[in-house]
Amino acid sequence: MKLLKVRKEFGILLIIIVLAVLITIVNPAFLRASNIFDFLRSNAVYGIMAFGMLLVLITGGIDLSVSSTIVLGAVLQGNYLAAHPDTNIFVIFAIVIAAGALIGLVNGVLITKIKIPPIVATLGVQTITNAAVLLYTKGAWISNLPEWYKSFGGFALLKIPSGNTYTGIYTQVIMLVIIGAITWFILNNMLIGRGIYAVGGNTQSARRVGYNVDLITIFVYIISGIYAGVASVASVSIVGSVDPNTFTGYEMDVIAITVLGGASLAGGVGTVFGTALGIILMAVIKNGLILVHISGYWQNAIMGAIILATIAIDQIKQNRERDHAVKVDVAE
Amino acid sequence: MKFIRLLREKHPNELVLFLIFVILFAVMAALSPDIFLSGANLQNMMFQMPEFGLMALAMMAAVLTGGMNLSIINGATLSAILAALLMTTEWGKANPLPAAVIGTVAIVVISLLTGVLNGVMIGYIGIVAMLVTLSTQLVFEGIGLIITKGNSIGSLPAPFLAIGSAQIGPVPVPMVVFAVMIAVSYFLLERSKWGREVYMIGDNETATRFSGIHTKKVLMLVYVFSGLLYGLSGVLITSRYCSAKTDYGSSYLMQALTAVVMGGTDINGGRGTVAGTILAVMILQTVSTGFTIHRVDQNLVNIFNGLILLFVLSVRYITGRLIDIKKIRARQATAEN
Repeated sequence: MKLLKVRKEFGILLIIIVLAVLITIVNPAFLRASNIFDFLRSNAVYGIMAFGMLLVLITGGIDLSVSSTIVLGAVLQGNYLAAHPDTNIFVIFAIVIAAGALIGLVNGVLITKIKIPPIVATLGVQTITNAAVLLYTKGAWISNLPEWYKSFGGFALLKIPSGNTYTGIYTQVIMLVIIGAITWFILNNMLIGRGIYAVGGNTQSARRVGYNVDLITIFVYIISGIYAGVASVASVSIVGSVDPNTFTGYEMDVIAITVLGGASLAGGVGTVFGTALGIILMAVIKNGLILVHISGYWQNAIMGAIILATIAIDQIKQNRERDHAVKVDVAE
Repeated sequence: MKFIRLLREKHPNELVLFLIFVILFAVMAALSPDIFLSGANLQNMMFQMPEFGLMALAMMAAVLTGGMNLSIINGATLSAILAALLMTTEWGKANPLPAAVIGTVAIVVISLLTGVLNGVMIGYIGIVAMLVTLSTQLVFEGIGLIITKGNSIGSLPAPFLAIGSAQIGPVPVPMVVFAVMIAVSYFLLERSKWGREVYMIGDNETATRFSGIHTKKVLMLVYVFSGLLYGLSGVLITSRYCSAKTDYGSSYLMQALTAVVMGGTDINGGRGTVAGTILAVMILQTVSTGFTIHRVDQNLVNIFNGLILLFVLSVRYITGRLIDIKKIRARQATAEN
């Protein structure tokens, strides 16, 4: 089983390398440091949410509400910043984390206590939250953000000059790495991490072994909500303004990344390393299309085809292995 | 009385939904009696409901097997875009009537083909339905965008536009199409051998396969049937907008899923009725029309719909628990005697 997981991730790595080589042949600008740092930055928002989705998917659930949580976080911080321009970044983080945790708690309670299936519960919460935010903002932009906040978003470690500007490891990428590290720590070094895999593998057994299944489930949805809140800071700090209409459909991209990274919708499977590869793969595809001068209209079709091909190949391989295993059993 | 008792025993869920519908309808009628109950408004509702209702049925067929079809909207819009290309050729402009007929057939046939693609991936290769339809949704939308560059294809032939606005007596043609498809769905899903197999797959796919049923073929046909339903919805949408575009009807996707779940279909498959889905569609339509009359913000309507969904599911859970407790007590009582 472990071998299978490792091999799956190896496959994704291989696809990334092949794509990178192909794109570089067409346009050598791909390998330029500034390009790599830029596309990592612009995909960090999806990446941060993907780590939360990973935890949820491992328990066998799904969280469609992330796209509304990020809108909520973006609007809350935008309004707070507009009203209190001299606040600091920790207050902003506290606000979005609290909002995200609250949404996650609602999801978790609906799923564990009222036994509403995750996809339906989070769909309901998404509809309500999204509509409430749009009702409140009337879809208006918030753009008068303070200067210090914009420089927080433009901050970069290891500054490399490129042209008359600079590039480097931007704030958003640092946030992505920290979130990835926290997720890795939860899954590999904490008891609840074992519990998350146990719940996804077999809920009944997990309960009998003594894991508090409800608590673990609520925990992953809260984490997913918090990450979506953090992602809203990443997003707003890149763009420098809040557009409440821009996040529609984000949940599908996030699920696609996580699944490309080897997580299974059936639960029990998925790693931080795999999801990280999924994020890079998605970023390489999006960036590659631009560098190879393929019109933006082709993006969805190509992305969909790649996801479809990846999962189809994976499934066919699994089917073969299963059929093979059955034959061996019969022969013995 | 006997009829009501039978209804209460056999279809408690549909009865509750019907009551909710009646109450909401009465409330909306009471709030604005002269507008809501006017012939024009009722007819208007009959024009709007079919598009959404057919999408909900298309979603339901997939959910019954424990799957899901996220590609219903983009499957329909892609078919409409391709058919619109055909209808706006020189030939199409010169021969409006044959072009309209061929265009209508083309939308349905292309939708059936998109259903075949989903069906092969889900049935024969065995990938999780949600992932397949999530990717095919992207692919269909993407192809549509490549063709239209995000614009709409307009000036469709006049006979085609008539489909969405024509009437037979006071009944709009879309409503007739919808009624026929409700009947077809009912007989295929709830009264045919294939329908039984669909529900069985939703309950336990492995067991169904081992009992000698060709599950791959059944699943394939489910997504083809779903294609037929969203194709017809696509015809109505395109006809109403007088044009084809990738994002027409995009709000129907989550609404369709909402209607299916509210209608009592188990998201894990194996349970659900056509009547339940239709009642949920009627509830959502009543709310949306009633609120539109009072110029209520669409976002408030969405909040209300979300709350109804969670409310219906909570009530269903609580009544289920109460029935369980009652059964346990009854069993304990018989055990003691």
